[in-house]
Amino acid sequence: MPMTRLPPEIRPVLENGTPAAMVTCSADGKPNTTVISQVYYVDEAHVALSFQFFSKTIRNVRENPRAFVCVFDIAGLAHWVLQLQFERSETEGPVFDAMDMQIEAIASMTGMSGIFKLRAADIYRVHSVERVQHPRWTASWSNG
Amino acid sequence: MIAFHILIPGKLVRFLEHANVAFVGVRDRDLVPFGHRVSGWQVGADQRTMTILVPDEFLEKLLESLKENGELAITVEEFPSHETYQFKGRYLRHRAVQEDDGEMVERVRRRFVKSLKPMYADAPEDILKSFISPPSLAIEFDVLEIYLQTPGPGAGTRLVPPVEQ
Repeated sequence: MPMTRLPPEIRPVLENGTPAAMVTCSADGKPNTTVISQVYYVDEAHVALSFQFFSKTIRNVRENPRAFVCVFDIAGLAHWVLQLQFERSETEGPVFDAMDMQIEAIASMTGMSGIFKLRAADIYRVHSVERVQHPRWTASWSNG
Repeated sequence: MIAFHILIPGKLVRFLEHANVAFVGVRDRDLVPFGHRVSGWQVGADQRTMTILVPDEFLEKLLESLKENGELAITVEEFPSHETYQFKGRYLRHRAVQEDDGEMVERVRRRFVKSLKPMYADAPEDILKSFISPPSLAIEFDVLEIYLQTPGPGAGTRLVPPVEQ
């Protein structure tokens, strides 16, 4: 069942360093999917996403604030789906500073130093969050 | 809007043969976006269409959106190089998965596990294999636009059809 608050058990998943998937939609109805490197926990009703490049995603949420994010818990055989609403952009302050530090760490771990650079921390309100359990692989899956 | 058919370039057809993770996005009638995991993909013989395989999660919502407006976008990445492209298109049809779709999924699963092994050295292989779930549905769509999404300043550039200078 979807929840409207981020439960404590999602925090380690947000911090596991695995890229997340994001979907937005332009005002004229074109969906846009992208991979994002970080979903930052702000409080139980908000997350922050990194704004690094002037991308279609950034333009979309400023004309249609609804967004979808999927974070992956590979070891836990699950993923979480988040329905979000863009609220504001922050270019300084504790959330921005913490994300900036994490972005640098992720960039150095993934060979992206000098490419990832935080322009702003975009703050989103959580509409809903839901955990989806994956079935465990069995040999029978390989039989078509 | 007039939709022009495009040809998926050979370079990107080859990319799709070694990429290892994908995600599809749609939107509903209220422009609320939604995403779905993808377990496999294949370029059509005419190089104008793609078929993706999706697991049994939120399928009702996915099909309702596709039938209502037909819009979809799929991002495909090769990890760990982060080479990434987005394919935008229009829904054509769907079908239940068939026996011969299994090999398409198994190829993606093998590539995914191989790419993740260095990061998850202690994880049992069956855990990594589980990430690529068995699909329930195949969705075919016309590819209308292709964008570069590899992280960097060029991310977001439309490759096909080329942007007029």
